[in-house]
Amino acid sequence: MTLTSKPLAVIVLIFLLGGIAFSSAMGWWATESSKVPVTFTEGEFAGQANPIDIRGSYTFGDIAKSFDVTPEVLAQAFGITEGAPAAFAVKELEAIYLDSGFEIGTASVRLFVAYYTGLPFDTTGQEIYLLQSATKILLAKGNLTAEQIAYLEKYTVTLGALAPVAEPVAESTPVPVETHTTTSEDYIVKGKTTFGELIAWGVPQEIIEGLIGTSMPDPAMKVKDYATTNGLDFETLKTTLQAEVDKVKR
Amino acid sequence: MITLFGRKIRLFRPRTIWIRRVVQWFFFLLIAFIAVNHTLVENGGGISFFSSASLHGVCPFGGVETLYTFATSGLLVKKIHDSSLVLAGIVLVLSILFGPVFCGWVCPLGTVQEWVGKVGKKLFKRRYNHFVPIKIDNILRYARYGILIWVLYVTAKSGTLVFEAYDPYFALFNFWSTEVAWSALVILGVILTLSIFVERPWCKYACPYGAVLGITNLFRVFSIKRAESTCKADGACSIMCPMNIPVDNVKVVRDHQCISCLECTSEAICPVAKTVVFTSGGVK
Repeated sequence: MTLTSKPLAVIVLIFLLGGIAFSSAMGWWATESSKVPVTFTEGEFAGQANPIDIRGSYTFGDIAKSFDVTPEVLAQAFGITEGAPAAFAVKELEAIYLDSGFEIGTASVRLFVAYYTGLPFDTTGQEIYLLQSATKILLAKGNLTAEQIAYLEKYTVTLGALAPVAEPVAESTPVPVETHTTTSEDYIVKGKTTFGELIAWGVPQEIIEGLIGTSMPDPAMKVKDYATTNGLDFETLKTTLQAEVDKVKR
Repeated sequence: MITLFGRKIRLFRPRTIWIRRVVQWFFFLLIAFIAVNHTLVENGGGISFFSSASLHGVCPFGGVETLYTFATSGLLVKKIHDSSLVLAGIVLVLSILFGPVFCGWVCPLGTVQEWVGKVGKKLFKRRYNHFVPIKIDNILRYARYGILIWVLYVTAKSGTLVFEAYDPYFALFNFWSTEVAWSALVILGVILTLSIFVERPWCKYACPYGAVLGITNLFRVFSIKRAESTCKADGACSIMCPMNIPVDNVKVVRDHQCISCLECTSEAICPVAKTVVFTSGGVK
C-alpha cells in the first residue's frame, strides 16, 4: 500500500484529534490537575489524601479541601500576607522566595502539610526547606517525631541563613516553640532585607503596616526598593524597623 | 506527465509537500493559541470554552518523561498530566505505522526551525544545510540519545521536570512568562540562529523526543522506498532531505533521523513517477 501526502495528512489529523476526542470520551484526557491528590492505597492511612501529590497549581484553598489544614495556617506558615489565603497558588511561592537562596516551593508545602497533619512523608535524600514561620507552627502543634524535628533543625531557613530551631526531643514530648538561638547578626535590617523576612523574623504585620502607613507590600519586595519607590528615606525606615526587630528578637 | 526515454516524467510537479505546510501551520497556531489562552486564563481572562491547558499538558514528551515515575509509583511527574501520556501513546502508534510524522508534520519547534531555515536557503543557496563536516555531523547526530538518557535519569531521580529549564519548545511558547528559565531562552536563541545554517539543528542533534521517535524508523510499517529500476540517480532526493539522509544510496530509508516529511518522494522533488514512494509494500 502506497500513501501520498494528502491521505497521510488526514491520517495524522484523525489520529491526533480523533485520539484526543476518544480519550476525552473515555475520561482519560486531563490537561489540568483535578486538584484532588491521590490517596494512600495501603496501611494505616489508606484512603487519605497523600501530600506527595500536592501540585504547584493547587491553591491553599484546594489543599484545605483535601487536608486538615486551613488556608490561613498555610498563609502564615509561608509568609503570605496579601490577598485571600484560599486563592494563593502554591507555585507562586518559588517566585516570591527566589532571592532567598533556598527553594521554598511546592515541596515545602508538601512537607509542611504532611508534618502538620501527621501523614507519612519520605524525606530521604531530599533537601526541602521551610521558613521559620512554618517550623514555628509545626513545633507549636507538638505532634512531630524526634526524627522530624531533627529534619526541621537542618532545613529551616531564616531567609538568608540556615538556622537551628529546636533541640531534638523525645517523641510525643511537647516542644518549646521559642527555642531558636542565633546571633543578632542574623536580624539586621539591610538594603536587601525583604518584608517577607521581617514577617519571618516575627515582626507583626500590623506594626510594619503602621510604620509604612499602608497595607503590607509584596513579601518578596526589598525594604529599600519600597522606600525608594514610595519616596521614603530608607535610613529612617530601616532604623524604625530595626527597633521593631530588636523588640521581638532581644 | 510525459514519457521520455521510456520513463514517465512530470513537467509541472510541486517542489514541496504543500499539505504538510498546512498541517504544520495548523498545529503551530493551535499550540500558540493554547499557550496564550493559558496565560490569559491564569490572569482572569482568556476564552473559557477553549482549552486552557498548560503547554506541558499538550506535550507528548511529558508522557515519556513521566513513564518511570508512573510505572513505579502510579504518580505523574510534577506539572505533567494524563493528557501527556495519552498523546505519547497516540504519537507512538503513529510513529510505528508511519515513522516520526510528529516531527515532520506536527511539532511546532520543527516548524519554526524550517521557517528560519528559509532565510538560510536564500542566503546560502546550495551550501545551506551542508556546513557541518560529515564526520562531525555523523557523531553529533547521536548526541540526542545522550540527552534523552540524561533527561530520563534526572527526571526519574528528582520527580520533577528538570528538562523544562533547558526546553526550547517550552521557551518558544512561554517566552513572555516568568516560568521560563533563561537557559531555555538562550538555547532557543542558539537553535534559531543555527537554523540559518543547518536545517532543524535541534531535531538533528539534541531533541530527546526525536531520539525516541527516531528509533521507530528501524521497524515502521510505512517507509520511504526507492525503486532502483526507474531511479535516475540524480541525487535530488538526498539534496532535498532536510535531515541530509542519502536517500539515493539506499533502497529503504531506515535512517534513525528520517522525519517522514515526504519531501524526497516522487510526489515532490523526485522527477520520476513512482520511484521514491511512501509505502508499506515493496518496490522494484
